[in-house]
Amino acid sequence: MAKLLMKGAEAIGEAAIRAGCTAYFAYPITPQSEVAEYLSKRLAEVGGTFVQAESEVAAAQMVYGAAGAGVRVFTTSSSPGVSLMAETMSYMAGSELPAVFVNIMRAGPGLGGILPCQSDYNQATRGAGHGDYSFMIIAPSTVQELADWMIRAFPLSEKYRNPVMIVGDGLIAQMMEPVDFDAVKAEEMPDVEGWATTGAKNRPRNLINSLFLDPLKLEEFNHHLKEKYERMAREEVRYENYMMDDEPELVCVAYGTTARIVKTAIDVLRAEGLKIGLIRPITLLPFPKDILRAESEKPHVKGFAVVEMSNGQMLDDVKWATLERKPVSFFSRNGGIVPNPEETVEFLRKEYERTQK
Amino acid sequence: MEHFNVFASKLVPGRELFSPGHKACQGCAPALAMRYLLKAAGPNTIIANATGCMEIISSAYPDIAWGVPWIHVAFENAAAVASGIEAGIKVLQRKGKLAPGKINVIAIGGDGGTFDIGLQALSGMLERGHEVLYLCYDNEAYMNTGIQRSSATPMFSSTTTSPAGKKIPGQATGKKDLAGIAAAHNVGYVATACTSYPFDFMAKVKTAFETPGSKLIHIFAPCPTGWRSAPNEIIKLGRLAVQTGIFPLYEYKGGQYHMSMELPFLKPIKSYMKSQGRYRHLSEEQIAMVQENVTARYEWLQKLAAASQEG
Repeated sequence: MAKLLMKGAEAIGEAAIRAGCTAYFAYPITPQSEVAEYLSKRLAEVGGTFVQAESEVAAAQMVYGAAGAGVRVFTTSSSPGVSLMAETMSYMAGSELPAVFVNIMRAGPGLGGILPCQSDYNQATRGAGHGDYSFMIIAPSTVQELADWMIRAFPLSEKYRNPVMIVGDGLIAQMMEPVDFDAVKAEEMPDVEGWATTGAKNRPRNLINSLFLDPLKLEEFNHHLKEKYERMAREEVRYENYMMDDEPELVCVAYGTTARIVKTAIDVLRAEGLKIGLIRPITLLPFPKDILRAESEKPHVKGFAVVEMSNGQMLDDVKWATLERKPVSFFSRNGGIVPNPEETVEFLRKEYERTQK
Repeated sequence: MEHFNVFASKLVPGRELFSPGHKACQGCAPALAMRYLLKAAGPNTIIANATGCMEIISSAYPDIAWGVPWIHVAFENAAAVASGIEAGIKVLQRKGKLAPGKINVIAIGGDGGTFDIGLQALSGMLERGHEVLYLCYDNEAYMNTGIQRSSATPMFSSTTTSPAGKKIPGQATGKKDLAGIAAAHNVGYVATACTSYPFDFMAKVKTAFETPGSKLIHIFAPCPTGWRSAPNEIIKLGRLAVQTGIFPLYEYKGGQYHMSMELPFLKPIKSYMKSQGRYRHLSEEQIAMVQENVTARYEWLQKLAAASQEG
């Protein structure tokens, strides 16, 4: 199919439809209300359902209800709204329900601002809600990748019966880029008879519940969740290597919007002969820990450089993954400011020169 | 009628506690509501303002339009935060740490922040009877985020999430009865107001503060951006909303209903709808349906008021 020029937020909506998801619940919040606006028109054309909830709490709980009924379902929001969805996230992981959440992050804390930021990394990867649970967290860096992962996210969430969250920011959601919706093949939803509450005619009833008053049973259940997350860590880690083939001396780590800027900066510095590469985590959870750990062991790698739009959240994961065997430096802009290529080039040049000493 | 024909600016304090220079759109009636509110409430006031147009346009750091103590709260919590302010004042006064005397506590939310996400906190505040005035400025959709429907959006109005087209005629349901919900909590004072009748509104704010317990004013505030109408039409549109019976002005006080304005007849709603882009798609049949609902509701309110007078 020909490529369509689309805004990120609209591509989220269209990709969900292409993925076979026709149930969407949401509450307006900038900078991603366009998903709801797009789907309020588009879902009517394909016989789907969009319900505008009275709050993010309600939107997320509608997702819980529909997911429990065995329906492919998703919601989108932005940082303060995602905070309100935290309770539901914990319940959905605890009830093992598949669904897709999208957080188009804005700068916080509090009401913060509406411009691009990556300061919900910890909220996403540490679990916004309570209890021993995790989501799978995916961070696309282009509108095409956003659409691709929307289409992949539903079957992934169904494979693990665990919600998947896609994180982006205002830059990805508001920018227009060409999208090919056929780049990834949609998959049918697997049979839900074994667990969904679809009515109990001619079969035993299914229950959706996360209450375990017996501590041994709850411990057993939490061990089951742990095994599931460990399997995700073995099978689902995704990342991109950029300029990593010729033994780079400085390895950058950046995701989403910042990874785009780091690539530009690397191109500039490569032209000057500086050997710098980028590892771009696509799954923030499971984090490409082993990949970074392996890099940290390579003698040619003299240091790591993390670029993030936060006070340093993924930074902690990079330090942990590399065991700080090599110096890990950090550059950030915050509050809705996207680092520009010039300042990123300056930072990387300085860090590269330091590795040469 | 005493407050409707008055137009004497000398009757109003000249001091602006909601200062000009804020970032509201041209022709923003909710901004007028804020201005009149503070003229009536005066400086001895604390405001808890939920996220929404009025918060965004008035408070982006480092600028602030508020000349009174003001606290921004999350979208769903204006009534809860105001409850906390009032309870805090009470305890400080009881312990002698704060001078006795009345401080006006006002919670402000838009229609989305009140009718939808803030309703739970509002109900809690009204039920507990905190000494707070809740002001809901109603521009009939989530305007700040780009004109999405709320449960205050009127039937058939086209918004970005209730778009009018072949399959959907715009907003499918009618407006929630917010004043009725507040009155059902058996509070001392509930009123509706409109930014086109500032003296009536300011008199209602004063009455609210003279009434003990929780009180709510629901003010109708046209939004030219969201309604796709001309910025210089907002006063006219507010008047027409009242005069057509689309937004009747009344008070609920001590269990009694009073109509604020006697209308000899209701103007046809078409006169109100015709200059608004959000209603442009309406068929004659749909207009007739809305007209029927408006007339029926107005007559019902008149009966409540008449029964109150008799009783």
